[in-house]
Amino acid sequence: MASSNLMIGLEIGTSKICVVVGESRPDGAIKILGVGQTPSRGVRKGEIVDFETAMKCVHEAVVDAEQKSDVMIRSVYVAVAGSHLQSFNNRGCVMLPEDRDEIDEQDVEDVKISAREVSIPAQNAFLHSIIQHYHVEGQDGVLNPVGMLGQKLEADFHIIHGVRTRIQNTIRCVKELPLDVEDVVFGGLASAQVVLTQHQKDLGALVIDIGGGTSDYILYADGVVKQSGCLGVGGDHITNDISMGLRIPMARAEKLKIEEGSCVLGNCLPGETILLKDDSGFAGKEIERETLNTIIHLRLQENLELLKRRLEEEPFINYLGGGIFITGGCSLLNGIDHLAQEIFEMPAHVAHAQTASGLTSAVENPQFSTAIGLIKYAQAVQTDRPRRRFGRIFGKFFSGMR
Amino acid sequence: MIQLSKNYSLPERQEGFIPIKIVSIGGAGLNALDRIVLDGLERADAVAINTDVQSLASSVAAHKVQLGRSVTRGLGAGGDPELGYQAAVESADEIREALADARMIFICAGLGGGTGSGAAPYVAQLAREAGSLVVAFATLPFAFEGKRRGAQAREALARFNEIANAVICFENDQIGDMVAPKAGIHQAFATADIMISQSVRSIVNLIQRPGLIRIGFDDLLAALRSRNGRCLFGFGESDSANRAHDALAQALKNPLMDRGRMLADAARVLVQVAGGPGMTLSEVEILMQELGRHVNEQTQILFGTAVDGRMGDRLSVTIISSLAADEDSIPEQIYPDQNSAPATPPVWGQSEDASPKVDGELGRTSVDGSQPAETIPIEEAATGETPLPSAPPVLNKSEPRLITQQTKPALTKEEKPPSEKNVQAKQEVLQFEPVTRGRFEKSEPTIVEGEDLDVPTYLRKNIKVK
Repeated sequence: MASSNLMIGLEIGTSKICVVVGESRPDGAIKILGVGQTPSRGVRKGEIVDFETAMKCVHEAVVDAEQKSDVMIRSVYVAVAGSHLQSFNNRGCVMLPEDRDEIDEQDVEDVKISAREVSIPAQNAFLHSIIQHYHVEGQDGVLNPVGMLGQKLEADFHIIHGVRTRIQNTIRCVKELPLDVEDVVFGGLASAQVVLTQHQKDLGALVIDIGGGTSDYILYADGVVKQSGCLGVGGDHITNDISMGLRIPMARAEKLKIEEGSCVLGNCLPGETILLKDDSGFAGKEIERETLNTIIHLRLQENLELLKRRLEEEPFINYLGGGIFITGGCSLLNGIDHLAQEIFEMPAHVAHAQTASGLTSAVENPQFSTAIGLIKYAQAVQTDRPRRRFGRIFGKFFSGMR
Repeated sequence: MIQLSKNYSLPERQEGFIPIKIVSIGGAGLNALDRIVLDGLERADAVAINTDVQSLASSVAAHKVQLGRSVTRGLGAGGDPELGYQAAVESADEIREALADARMIFICAGLGGGTGSGAAPYVAQLAREAGSLVVAFATLPFAFEGKRRGAQAREALARFNEIANAVICFENDQIGDMVAPKAGIHQAFATADIMISQSVRSIVNLIQRPGLIRIGFDDLLAALRSRNGRCLFGFGESDSANRAHDALAQALKNPLMDRGRMLADAARVLVQVAGGPGMTLSEVEILMQELGRHVNEQTQILFGTAVDGRMGDRLSVTIISSLAADEDSIPEQIYPDQNSAPATPPVWGQSEDASPKVDGELGRTSVDGSQPAETIPIEEAATGETPLPSAPPVLNKSEPRLITQQTKPALTKEEKPPSEKNVQAKQEVLQFEPVTRGRFEKSEPTIVEGEDLDVPTYLRKNIKVK
């Protein structure tokens, strides 16, 4: 990359592919220089199903971003999603040799490797190992153990893994363009970087990124990632439901959802209808508003309830001081925050990227949270590299894919 | 004019079950039997047979038979199959008495020891002579138990293969892989017992449970019919929210199943899904769809389903199949040594009776009245059979693991009807009303907690939107 403080985030989403060009300022702020996007084709539920088509779309989006930001794009950070992604928390442990009691960076690497010594399905690969806390000789809450004395180093990691070949498909799609892939990042993790402030992470917060094909979630407590995952249900499903329920084409259903949709029930006049115009501009079909809203409401309600049940498998959801932050394209749906508030019984907000400046139209659009989050992630990785605040994998898995 | 009385109803399904006895022989068999009884055994009697009085005394079985009062004098057979055999011969009358009145006899024995290897095949023989259908559950010893025991076990297994109608064989070594390396040896043996217990109970249930789509003994034999094959057995039960998926996953996790990979090569797979009244069609559908990914397109699926009030919220899946050791598992081949053997129970002769139960619609099949008993025509077998030759142990087969009784020449041409019938059964399962998934029709389904999330929520929740 020409300039080390230029970073590009690429999200291959189900409904759109977007490329965000960002610049890291010396003071740590991020400025968005340009956003390129194209409607996505060949992607379903966050995963590529038509390689050629998806590649063309990525290319278009990259060209668009290059034109808008006047930057030559060579390498990108790529977000991945898909219901194959899974996560768990695990503790690694290393004992220092008898003759040495100062913990060095190698030991920190070793403890990370030891945390990964768990069985994941054979076809899966590690995507992230995010450090939660270190424990030195039983002392809890150590942030950086390098240089400390102790014989026993333990570390809790949040590990995200997914099906290797599916992740590789995304990478290949980008590399064929050809662009370099700096890193692959779980979409939810990227979104959380910009949606949440450090303070909110400390308080405990849940980010739900409902995109076109997937709902990514990531839960922070005590400033660290505790739970994350991806549900293969998103805005596409709502559109599909509308299309089937009202018997209208997908494109029309999508438009109707965006323009008129709401997930709040009982908010419209009895018998209130929406007039659908057909292609020639003539009055086509009349649709009852309540019907439309019911379809959306049922789907979103189910989706959020599923997420809630998943999150309740562990206790962290009960300790969220910061509340819930909904982002992604679907968060633009009317009333989604109220619905989430009702289901999770805690404050819910629709959120967009908070910690970036520049193109405000892009920053303030929750659709771009993930792509902007990639920039923030890249910045964190690049500046924090010695400390490795975010477990970045350049190990076997990643080098194997290059 | 013919008058039909108003309260005419279809013939009531009789509550009577097939008399089944579970007979355990030898120390390992008794352990397994205890497990079976403790796990709850319904609709079958347990019989414990051993030379060792002490272990017999501690058994929880209701009916006990001591072997060889004068040969072993209440002690074990000391690992000598010959002694075990003699003891059994001495007590033949008592065994016959214990086996009487059973149409099906399940024999559980741990092969390798004296009583298990010596007496068990003899008991099986007596059972066949008495006209019962015999299914043997045998465990092969751990490799560390020594080569001698291994050889004795294989010898006994070969005899079982000749005598019993079907043999389901568990290799302890394989089961050992299920147990964590750090677990105690107790646990390793207990796991083997649990495996046997599960399979015995699930097969008893399979046969005794009045099914909507019933599985008969013919289906069971068909699934197990492959020469020198390897038995695939899986049983899973779950009452979680996502129970269809969980139960199947559990069934496939069985070591005899190798995570479902083995199923890909099986020619016939028997599947029974049983659940309480709350079991839904979509659950069965999801389960069968998922299973479908593990089997070959050509595989015949012998599908059965049963509703049992006692199951409550639980849903169980039983998968039974066998892999041929050789290229194909076509039973048409005639083995000369089998020609001289007494006839198998003429199960296939009656398969026409059994066939309606699968070729109708779901609703009709349940009342078809194909009684369990009809598929197991013990009567003919009882009278027509000559005693089985007590052939010397044969060791010509290289580690046979599962052998069902071979088809006799006279019966070979009757192989066809059941297989055609089974093809129909498979089609029927797949003909469930297709669910509408719209745009996601061709994509991988998102199944969470047993529901296909690609289907609109309002459809799944049955909420009218218009």
